[in-house]
Amino acid sequence: MTTDQQTPQGGVKHRYRHEGPQKHIVVFIFSIVLTLIAFAAVAAGGVNASFAVILLLVMAVLQVFVQMGYWMHLKDKGHMLPILFMIGGFFVAGTCIIMSLYWVWWD
Amino acid sequence: MAQAAPVLNHSKPLKHGHNVKRHTGLMDWITTVDHKKIAILYLWAGGLFFGIGGLEAILIRIQLIKPMNTFLNAQLFNELITMHGTTMIFLGVMPIIFALMNAVIPLQIGARDVAFPFLNALGFWTFLFGGLLLNLSWVMGGAPDAGWTAYAPLSTSTYSTTHGVDFYTIGLQIAGLGTLIGGINFLATIITMRAPGMSYMRMPMFAWTTFITSAIILFAFPAITVGLVLLTFDRILGANFFEVGAGGNPVLWQHIFWIFGHPEVYILILPAFGIISEIIPTFSRKRLFGYSSMVFATILIAFLGFMVWAHHMFTTGLGPVANALFSVSTMLIAVPTGIKIFNWLFTMWGGQVRFTTPNLFAAGFIPTFTMGGVTGVMLASAPADFQFHDTYFVVAHFHYVIVGGLVLGLFGGLHYWWPKMFGRMLSEKLGKWTFWTFILGFHMTFFVQHFLGLMGMQRRVFTYLPNQQFDLLNLISTIGAGLMGVGTIIFLTNVFLTSRKPVGALDDPWEDGRTLEWSIPSPPPEYNFKQTPLVRGIDALWKEKTAGNKGMTPAEPVGSIHMPSATALPFVMSVGIFIAGLGFMFSRDDFGNAFMSFIFNNYIVTAIGLLITFGSMVLRSVFDDHGWHIEPEELEEG
Repeated sequence: MTTDQQTPQGGVKHRYRHEGPQKHIVVFIFSIVLTLIAFAAVAAGGVNASFAVILLLVMAVLQVFVQMGYWMHLKDKGHMLPILFMIGGFFVAGTCIIMSLYWVWWD
Repeated sequence: MAQAAPVLNHSKPLKHGHNVKRHTGLMDWITTVDHKKIAILYLWAGGLFFGIGGLEAILIRIQLIKPMNTFLNAQLFNELITMHGTTMIFLGVMPIIFALMNAVIPLQIGARDVAFPFLNALGFWTFLFGGLLLNLSWVMGGAPDAGWTAYAPLSTSTYSTTHGVDFYTIGLQIAGLGTLIGGINFLATIITMRAPGMSYMRMPMFAWTTFITSAIILFAFPAITVGLVLLTFDRILGANFFEVGAGGNPVLWQHIFWIFGHPEVYILILPAFGIISEIIPTFSRKRLFGYSSMVFATILIAFLGFMVWAHHMFTTGLGPVANALFSVSTMLIAVPTGIKIFNWLFTMWGGQVRFTTPNLFAAGFIPTFTMGGVTGVMLASAPADFQFHDTYFVVAHFHYVIVGGLVLGLFGGLHYWWPKMFGRMLSEKLGKWTFWTFILGFHMTFFVQHFLGLMGMQRRVFTYLPNQQFDLLNLISTIGAGLMGVGTIIFLTNVFLTSRKPVGALDDPWEDGRTLEWSIPSPPPEYNFKQTPLVRGIDALWKEKTAGNKGMTPAEPVGSIHMPSATALPFVMSVGIFIAGLGFMFSRDDFGNAFMSFIFNNYIVTAIGLLITFGSMVLRSVFDDHGWHIEPEELEEG
């Protein structure tokens, strides 16, 4: 599944072209903005508590996608298996946690 | 970069031009990172623990040979059943599975080693030291006695006051590290190191099941790790996760244990499925029937395996809806498993079947495992399970799938790949004796236990009263266990006699080898493939054979081969974890000796152990290991 190719000399040839740094700079600023919004929402103190929780969660989810996609390169080609395994892991862990919590505490 | 000038000079004394430290004897085994040698280490260590677990089983059966027997007392019996289960699963069969994976997988996919040779060695040594720690309990104040499932509240410090369960939690955590490392290693190996042309759907079935098994390990072992850590906290640091009196919940332990425990049984059986799927086509001279359905069934079993854990807990009171759902999901697993059974039968159908020892084990596997599967579906029915629960019916069921399934598969695999691992064929005559004594003993031991369970004999009881019609069946069961022991001794004799013969197995000793491991010498050179082979279809070697070619077509010119350096660091790291574990376990003890109490109670022993481990990690990170090269000239000589 990897797009790298092993050359006979044992070196690795990258098949995908390298992008410039612009996109990464934009994403980096975006990450910081997400963090600042979350921080400001709590630090300012004026925001309704339940709204702040929802806002924080939304910021967190966006942050996860940005980090995974750009900094862990999951958006690039040849990352199907890591994505599959992560979905699998979330699915298994999620099922187990939800079911156990349900039975142990609420049922 | 230690080797500089002499390597570039392509002259005759080149072999000695390397600055490669070649260890010999014991140091060679301690420092090796070669997957073939690690396979042999796994085999000996796993075999040792398998032997210990087997002896424990024999002692259990001797105690149960007649009613009101006084051969063992109740405490020792509880320790024996706990250690029998734990040792067999975590320290016996899983390492032997890893032995076969290590020996075969890189060869089957045309690779020169696993993806992370250093981690491979680390995985072995952490497993070994975890296993040793667990078994030290016998001489350090008593073995764990809460059953292999260590159910709370019995396993909490309220009811288990000795260090037995601490040995269980800490030993298994250390051994579990090794398993997790091994699983991740095989995932990376199979994803990234397949030879050119070997697409996923051209991989041999054993490579596929190893891949899926490793994925299950990756997802399931974190659950048991969490559970063991929580139990350790409860017992040693006074936490209350499972202490009812302090608001903890013992059923939570059952959930965590079985979220791991049920996928664990598929971790055990899927490699056996893979082994059988290699042996049967070879000795039927036919390609595996329904290859893609086999792959699909393997993935489906792995997926469903995570959705059924509560069927171990029907009687804890989950409610009728949950019980019904988990009944159905459990029964669903019979569908992909059935696909596999029929595929093996159809592979043999119309083939030129040769009943060599490996194929005898494979053929014995099919009906035996099917019987275990059928009782599994019976147990999956929640209302019926209320009757079967905690009786010998359950004991019979899981021994049919684990011994009748996995152990027969492992024996078959060992006989099949022995010439590839050691360069010597095991004796066919003794192999057949092994098979017949073992399988007869197996059915004698466990077939009658179905009826003992249905008649009401509970599991884990250390004795029983006479005149309940249990006497004769228990006697038969014990005789059968002895016969299984005889089968194992014949196998060991076979191994011993074979080891005294000269190395002389052919590249393809079974003559009908289909996969890449049979295209290279037995045992393979340390670099496995002089030239990486080009894979042109499923059953790569068989395809070349039918095309009239002498061997595999190389996918690369002969060139220098990069090898990983031998290192003792994995061994040292594991010793560190071992010391830290022991130190932590005894951190609350009063030794009646000021010095001992001081170093244990202040976590000094633990700190020393962790210092050794993390110090080794620092060494590994600071000093780059560039490995070394085997030059083409040396390949010609070899």
